[in-house]
Amino acid sequence: MIKRVEVNYRGIFQKNLAKQIGGDIVLIASRMGKVGFSNGRYSDSPERNGIPCKYFAFVTPDLSEEELEAECGAKLDIDEADISVVLDDTMCKGVEPWGWYGVRPINEKIIAGATMIVVSRREPPELLKWIERRPYEYKMTIITGDASLAGLWVNKDDLTRERVLGAIAGADPDLISIEAVESYLNEKTKDPTRAQAARAAYDEARQRLYTVKPDEGIKWPYVIPELPKWNHFMEAAAVPAVPRHFEIGPRGQSRNEQLQRFTTRTERPVVRFDLCTKCQLCWYDCPDECFDPTPDGLYDVNYDYCVGCGRCAQVCPVKECIVMVDELRFDDHKSPWEHYKRDKDGYIAWAEEKKGTRRVVYPFVTGTGVAVHEGEHVPEGQKTVVKKQDKLEVKL
Amino acid sequence: MTATQPQSVFTTEDLLTGCQAVSHGVRLADVDVIAAYPIRPYTEVMDYLSRLIANGELDAEYIIADSEHSQFEIVKHAASVGARAFAGSSGTGWMYGFEALVVAATDRLPVLFLVGNRALDDPGAFGVEHNDALALRDMGWLIHWVTTPQEALEHVLIGYRIAEDPRVRMPIALAMDGAFLTHSQHVVKIPSPEAVKRYLPPYSLGDRVLHPDNPISIAPQANEDWVMEIRRQNWEAARRARGVIKEAYQEFNAIFGERYTNPYFDEYLTDDAETVLIGIGTVASPGRTAVRRLREQGHKVGYVNLRWFRPFPTVELRDCLRRFKAVGVIDRDFAHGSGDDGGALLHEIRSCLYPAKERPAIVNFITGLGGRDVSIADAIKMFQLTEQAATADHLDSYVTWIGVRE
Repeated sequence: MIKRVEVNYRGIFQKNLAKQIGGDIVLIASRMGKVGFSNGRYSDSPERNGIPCKYFAFVTPDLSEEELEAECGAKLDIDEADISVVLDDTMCKGVEPWGWYGVRPINEKIIAGATMIVVSRREPPELLKWIERRPYEYKMTIITGDASLAGLWVNKDDLTRERVLGAIAGADPDLISIEAVESYLNEKTKDPTRAQAARAAYDEARQRLYTVKPDEGIKWPYVIPELPKWNHFMEAAAVPAVPRHFEIGPRGQSRNEQLQRFTTRTERPVVRFDLCTKCQLCWYDCPDECFDPTPDGLYDVNYDYCVGCGRCAQVCPVKECIVMVDELRFDDHKSPWEHYKRDKDGYIAWAEEKKGTRRVVYPFVTGTGVAVHEGEHVPEGQKTVVKKQDKLEVKL
Repeated sequence: MTATQPQSVFTTEDLLTGCQAVSHGVRLADVDVIAAYPIRPYTEVMDYLSRLIANGELDAEYIIADSEHSQFEIVKHAASVGARAFAGSSGTGWMYGFEALVVAATDRLPVLFLVGNRALDDPGAFGVEHNDALALRDMGWLIHWVTTPQEALEHVLIGYRIAEDPRVRMPIALAMDGAFLTHSQHVVKIPSPEAVKRYLPPYSLGDRVLHPDNPISIAPQANEDWVMEIRRQNWEAARRARGVIKEAYQEFNAIFGERYTNPYFDEYLTDDAETVLIGIGTVASPGRTAVRRLREQGHKVGYVNLRWFRPFPTVELRDCLRRFKAVGVIDRDFAHGSGDDGGALLHEIRSCLYPAKERPAIVNFITGLGGRDVSIADAIKMFQLTEQAATADHLDSYVTWIGVRE
């Protein structure tokens, strides 16, 4: 028997976390007398900020390592997952790790009876409104928390690692037992709070275990591309350019339809057009050219292409004009500018409701944690210069 | 491999990727000079070696070069002045250093280089393909492949021992499949430094060391009146290497336990087999699984995992393969425009079997290029096609591409 675990993570910010979880599973299983190994999906480019990636761990109680390797090694991806960990719940909206892969459902590899473990502040039914329905029953459970997004090569030590191990033990004690997780953590770290965090997540995962009924979820809206036969593309893999096109207005610029990259996003920029000074900085600085100039001199956002890097919010000189907001608060990629032109008051009220009061900033470079401060509801048209903070007050 | 080694020679266990396992091999070999330049999948080796040095676990000169070419040159020169030296690369980076690679062979410098196999760009590709390492095949290098992190660690030690033997003194390439081995984490048993010391003598270049106390000139200009004799010398060393390789494995087994029955290749369920596949690297995984599944259905099949490519184990492989009815050769490479448009290994196997009185049918599979999965179903298909070849009167083609979209 073989158990296959996949850890879905955000490129670079969670790379070390995912790799460590994969390794931990193997070492804990090894303490239980089992055999395992762990690897990453090599086609991923996990150095790219936020891109959805995968790490795997394989464990067997009865096969030799060579047989386990023969069954699971030398493969790019798994065919089926017994446990699927999702380290950032915004990946529930779909994952597109590279071009020509398509936006795929997060539960693509989940088999009947398997368990998805999601780090989230939401309940499974809320997440299932973005997840593809399956013809069979499986389970979902939650580790309450925000995505642990650390810095470039930094690992954020916020106990997510330990909590995920605890939750895996809760979901499948045959894979790794909570006792083995605790003894491993105690022995390895000599810090009892780590085993305690694992135990708490173990309890939570068991209490919150939700059975996903057959056909619970959505009809998948994205088409999975069919890769061309060897003689059906240009010689030497030359790639035809996207035809040049530009006109003023939403989606007026031609873009590459084969890789939209929005699944890279954890947060999206929400724009208060009434506060905009038309300084152009968002349009100018956006690394992915996601802003479309509009006839009234504003800049619409194309959410199909925005990767949620936060650069626009960083450079915007007006207080509360561009704010990054949790991607799961949104259901579509419609033009915000069109909404604004159609119903100015309605749009401002909608934007403020989405923004809420928490302003979350991830200091990616240091990876030391997350800065959260209070937002402010600015009245319509009241343009105030934003005060740039010299130093972020970061809490773990 | 069986784990019958005495406890004392393997002191610790750790979870290591193939790259990290190689780095521990370098640490245990007490390498003196390391030159580095990044390219995936090799990069993790240089990352991890720098960490071992920073942690005080390894005392070595660590030089970041400005390119693969410089990297290989630095190491080559270090070896010539009496330092045990290590470098590595992958794919096009490996190719960029080729001028330095070929002279390391003609200068007979026993460096050990890792090549984490990677497809040759363009288009930019990270996945495994063996053409990078195979490009060295006619250049006077020893070339071998490993299939697990445990083997990777051990073959750094075995590799230095063979390469540095006074009868050999040739550069050696340790090849391993990018991604599937370089980046896969396994529990690895790490030998003790004492046991390694018993196995691997200190580095010595004998009377060829470039030193003020040993005034010599190396790599002189040689004209038409010299080169052929130099080649003949190189060949003699390569011939001697065959015996040295056997000794090196015997000695390894004596110290570390009976880990390797045959230095050159591993046979899997071949005793009563009629049809076998032979391949290099991690394609052994689906290959051996397919053997188990087909045997459940009564097929007499087996798998041969080839470890050494240079020197090619001609006699040993001939003795092994001639007893089967059909042999399917798996190439994770493509030898463009070669005989029958096959892969590099096909031609070696055919050539080695030609003098045999009873020859099996031989077919070739080009598969897994650029890191494409070779599935268990693919391996079963290769077995079926090879079985059919055993009884076929006529084959339209000896070479089949497996896993290409067509």
